[in-house]
Amino acid sequence: MSGHRIAAITRRLLQGFRRDRRTLALLFVAPIVILGLLGYLMRGSSSAPNVGIANQDSGPLGAMVADALRQSSHIKTTDINVGDGDAKLKDGSLVAYIVLPADFTQQAQAGNVAPQVHLEGSQPGEDTPVIQSLQPAMIALATRLAGRDVNFQPELTYLYGGANYDTLDYFGAAFVGLVVFFLVFVITIVSFLNERSQGTLERLMASPLRRGEIVVGYMLGFTVLALVQAAEVLVFALAVLKIHNQGNVLLIFGMEALMAIAAVNLGIFLSMFARSEFQAVQFIPLVVVPQVLLSGIIFPVSTEPGPLQWLSDVLPLTYAVDGMRDIMVKGADLTWGSLQLDAGVVLGFCVLLIAAGTATLRRRLA
Amino acid sequence: MSETYAVSVEDVSKSFGAFKALNGVTLRVRQGEIYGLLGPNGAGKTTLIRLVCGLFEAHAGTVTVLGQRMPNIGVLRHIGYMTQQAALYPAISVEENVRFFAAINGAEAGVKEALELVHLYDRRDSVVATLSGGMRQRCSLACALVHKPELLLLDEPTVGIDPQLRVEFWEYFRRMAAGGTTMIVSSHVMDEADRCQRLGLIQYGRLLAEGTPADIRAQGGSQNLEEAFLALAGRNES
Repeated sequence: MSGHRIAAITRRLLQGFRRDRRTLALLFVAPIVILGLLGYLMRGSSSAPNVGIANQDSGPLGAMVADALRQSSHIKTTDINVGDGDAKLKDGSLVAYIVLPADFTQQAQAGNVAPQVHLEGSQPGEDTPVIQSLQPAMIALATRLAGRDVNFQPELTYLYGGANYDTLDYFGAAFVGLVVFFLVFVITIVSFLNERSQGTLERLMASPLRRGEIVVGYMLGFTVLALVQAAEVLVFALAVLKIHNQGNVLLIFGMEALMAIAAVNLGIFLSMFARSEFQAVQFIPLVVVPQVLLSGIIFPVSTEPGPLQWLSDVLPLTYAVDGMRDIMVKGADLTWGSLQLDAGVVLGFCVLLIAAGTATLRRRLA
Repeated sequence: MSETYAVSVEDVSKSFGAFKALNGVTLRVRQGEIYGLLGPNGAGKTTLIRLVCGLFEAHAGTVTVLGQRMPNIGVLRHIGYMTQQAALYPAISVEENVRFFAAINGAEAGVKEALELVHLYDRRDSVVATLSGGMRQRCSLACALVHKPELLLLDEPTVGIDPQLRVEFWEYFRRMAAGGTTMIVSSHVMDEADRCQRLGLIQYGRLLAEGTPADIRAQGGSQNLEEAFLALAGRNES
């Protein structure tokens, strides 16, 4: 071992970075962006879900329990009519609603209370804060009844999913699309850069090929690959992992295909801003990680701090993830307005990127 | 009456930022001529070739190719361009590369002939990544001429290849010129200059001298082309 020779290698590496300002900037900017976002998401998110309360009890105890629920820090409550409950779960404005039945006071006096808890059910663990908020209410109820034994037996019903629905089912639906999006993006950005660095792009530009033909040709080539991959991922997810699926498999595949096309075009477009594979690799965390954090895969968009919700609403991955969950968890089909919106936004994003990729192709040739 | 030229570059300037790559260059290439573009590295040869095939637009002046003002996508199918590095797809075979460039020019019929011309027909199934540097240059040439272009732009086609192959390349060029193909060949190797019908000497983005090899010898005052070139370049510096 020669310290001198080792120092030569170390010095050469650092010299390269000193000239490559862009890589250097990304190296120091990317972690701050990612960690900052994560911190803001975790600290700033409101964890209290919206829960509706429908108190139908004619006696005094229902009102008392409803009051206790309103005091709870675990949930944010609104009073609703029972009939509106399911609609509010469907449109996402409530994650649950609690019905205190008409005979609630009699039930309590008989020592057996059964509040009805209706859960939206697509996010695992969302029942926890609801149950947590019910417990102090029940203790208050028991105190009111002067220490009499009250058997607490909530009736849980799920709009989607069900009791066996688990974390993998919730994340799986989003990841089936995300895996394809991510891998296709990486392959495209690197191979389009190869085209540039090996000089063949210059040859293409000096041929009768039009820029749009290059971009669309690339898109089709990688889409073929991506579709095979998407099919493989889907079969594995459904047959081996047995991820919960309520929807039409072809619809899932269609959504995956849209995400793949978006990823190809994102790759082509971003390759215009990288001069080397090295720089392209730096784009991956900067482009992919914030999108993943903000797309609602891990943190539901509705619980994000306000400004981040705005950001989530303009990121295409948010719609793609929402679409995948609509199909797989909720069994959405194309008659659903929410799925139409999701698919439409992803499609619009593809068109926008094809146009942007085509427009930037010539400018960045030199 | 003015002669019509295959390529005519009129008072062209092109800058990259503050760097003036070409500064008021005028040159004209006749049909069926082999025109040698000579000059040191960084003189502006590649920039000039890229302007001729419409990859850039000139900041001043005009470039006309086969009667069309460049850039013009319609003319591109009549141009073959061999870039300085052998720009090929390394993961596919020789024939697949040539067939690709044939297809984008709408001329798939010429694949076999092009491969035979560069003596690569027997190696057509070899993956490009496994080829030697000389074979890659030959494959690259086949890709540039597979669609039988009227104008062939060759940017330092003989860099890094052995003397025997260089002789073969010039033999191809001579035959193609005899068949009516116009060629612009850039080089900084002076012994190749003698094989061109006319030469343009470029330095610091300017055309220093133009003419047949004999004219250049006379202007530079030396029987040796290299010395003549250096003499002309020296005059430019002072």
